[in-house]
Amino acid sequence: MLRVGIAGVGTMGRTHASAYAKLPNTRLIGFYDSVTEAAQRVASQFGVQAFPSYEAMLEQVDMVDICTPTPTHLELVLKAASAGKHILCEKPLGRTLPQCEQMIEAASKAGVTLMPAQVLRFFPEFKQARDLVLAGAVGKPAAIRTRRGGPYPRAANDWYADFEQSGGPILDMVIHDFDWLRWTFGEVERVFAKALTFKKLDHIDYALITLRLKSGAIAHVEANWADPSGFKVDFEIAGDAGMIAFDSRFAMPLMVAKQNAGGGGGGVAVPESPLAEDPYMLEIKHFVDSVEAGQQPSITAVDGMKAVEIALAAIESARTGRVIRLGGGA
Amino acid sequence: MAVRIGMMSFAHMHAYSYAHCVKQLEAEGRAQLVGVADDDPQRGQQVAQQYGTRFYESYEALLDAGIDAVIVCPENVKHRPLTEMAAKAGKHVLCEKPLATSKADGRAMIEVCKANGVQLMTAFPCRFSPSYIRLKQMVEAGELGEVLAIRGTNRGRNPGGWFIVPELSGGGAVIDHTVHVTDLCRDLLKSEVVEVYAEIGNGFCHGDFDDTGMLTLTFANDVFATLDSSWSRPKVFPTWGDVTLQVVGTKGLVYMDMFAQNSTLYDDRNMRITLEHWGSSIDYGLVSAFVESVASGKPVPITGEDGLAAAEVAFAAYESAKRGEPVRLPLPE
Repeated sequence: MLRVGIAGVGTMGRTHASAYAKLPNTRLIGFYDSVTEAAQRVASQFGVQAFPSYEAMLEQVDMVDICTPTPTHLELVLKAASAGKHILCEKPLGRTLPQCEQMIEAASKAGVTLMPAQVLRFFPEFKQARDLVLAGAVGKPAAIRTRRGGPYPRAANDWYADFEQSGGPILDMVIHDFDWLRWTFGEVERVFAKALTFKKLDHIDYALITLRLKSGAIAHVEANWADPSGFKVDFEIAGDAGMIAFDSRFAMPLMVAKQNAGGGGGGVAVPESPLAEDPYMLEIKHFVDSVEAGQQPSITAVDGMKAVEIALAAIESARTGRVIRLGGGA
Repeated sequence: MAVRIGMMSFAHMHAYSYAHCVKQLEAEGRAQLVGVADDDPQRGQQVAQQYGTRFYESYEALLDAGIDAVIVCPENVKHRPLTEMAAKAGKHVLCEKPLATSKADGRAMIEVCKANGVQLMTAFPCRFSPSYIRLKQMVEAGELGEVLAIRGTNRGRNPGGWFIVPELSGGGAVIDHTVHVTDLCRDLLKSEVVEVYAEIGNGFCHGDFDDTGMLTLTFANDVFATLDSSWSRPKVFPTWGDVTLQVVGTKGLVYMDMFAQNSTLYDDRNMRITLEHWGSSIDYGLVSAFVESVASGKPVPITGEDGLAAAEVAFAAYESAKRGEPVRLPLPE
């Protein structure tokens, strides 16, 4: 039985908390948040403790789940490692590469497991696409396109809008796609990107990123925080023997439209795609099972860092207008 | 007074659709398909029969047949010589895209038409798509606010034949599929491309021609765009390809899938699923506009300069891929 503490009570902290509640081999002990009242509110919803400090929480748990804004990851990971606690850390692992390196070193020195929460690997559509690619279903992949995004995200202190904290949609959001691309198609050779990030617009950000992979395949990634019509994801993998295409807009088994009070139009159809096994649950289960078995999770901290490296290269390209070639590779 | 039209070469398959449009205009009394000439006499004779018109043994004979204008659809590298012949004979020219395979050729075509007092129009039918016209209205009315970024695609399949012989086509997928969306962006933004970056590959066909192109364009007004010009559609894809444009502005976003007006045909006899397009013919809009300009003497809506500007983006893409870095436009003359 692993005792779990969650740092951060935003959307992701609460999502993860629900998963722990369903797992037989974990017990959620409590929450820590820099806003104590927020921690108390969420803790009472889950019937667990709100800790007055992160250190106090660390004393009573075997693992921590870090769901706080990106720049706080470093400190929270280092403290957990030195307390000998296993760590599941939200993506992106760090705001900078040196931060990631420090975390990896600390976890390794302390002998604790550090897994970045690259949850896309547990989304069935992305997992299946990878399985199909590896089975040769499309032949050799040549052109890959992904898009992800919707309205500009809102959260506590509007921290997504602070580029220094969030890194914008390139670091915060399409890091999912970068990790999945690396996992599925191998290492990235070079990156060229254009973004609105540095125009400092009012809650609009958008980036188009082209990656050349070491395999020779070309990938195009859209990061969209400028689409008010709702969150959407799609991908397309075209190879020399076929193509896999997915579009979240057309993979919705439920479409709910409710009459407005008094009848008449104006109601918006709300799509839903329910799954028996929630991807966040599968991710957490994999982490917990790996820790219990004393095994390395399939997503390593180095994977988390590599995804950050691609994202930072894209940001650097967008900022300088230059092609950024990635360093050492694997 | 019907505009008398001759067609020079059917090497490019779009010529068939243009011929069909001329026949439609003929039925409306606005044009007349006087005849065709072709390097490939067998093809020329067959086409003449198909469209109920006369086959001329040579381009010279066709140009001598009392026509007002020509539609030029040979292999890309022959756009220049055929346009020069037509212009020198005093005929207005509608030329298939890409206008030329080099900047020098494109410039020469523009010059020869100017010198001979004839109009040169580039065949960019996408400008006549009702969906694009509507999109452009929204942008011009400021419904999206200030345009910030565009994501475009013009994907298809390897057409084979001369399209994959760079000596005849000037390249592969990039020269074939860059110009349409580039032209739409130029038309929409009223701004020129100042930089091109391109990743180019041959991962679909593994030939000595490119079949994959992922271009990033920067415009003088600071808008950026990407354009996927790949021949990436599988053989079993239910339609030929696509033209899509997503325009992101300060006040909103519009997504256009130009050829989305389809019904799906499930065909057991041929074991195929196909999209059957029922949207408006964009080629008709193109040929009709050309005929109208010739008849009235007013300027063509899409000029040789437009054609060359779009083609130059494709030239720059090849240069960028060769150098591995972004390339500034305009390219040296």
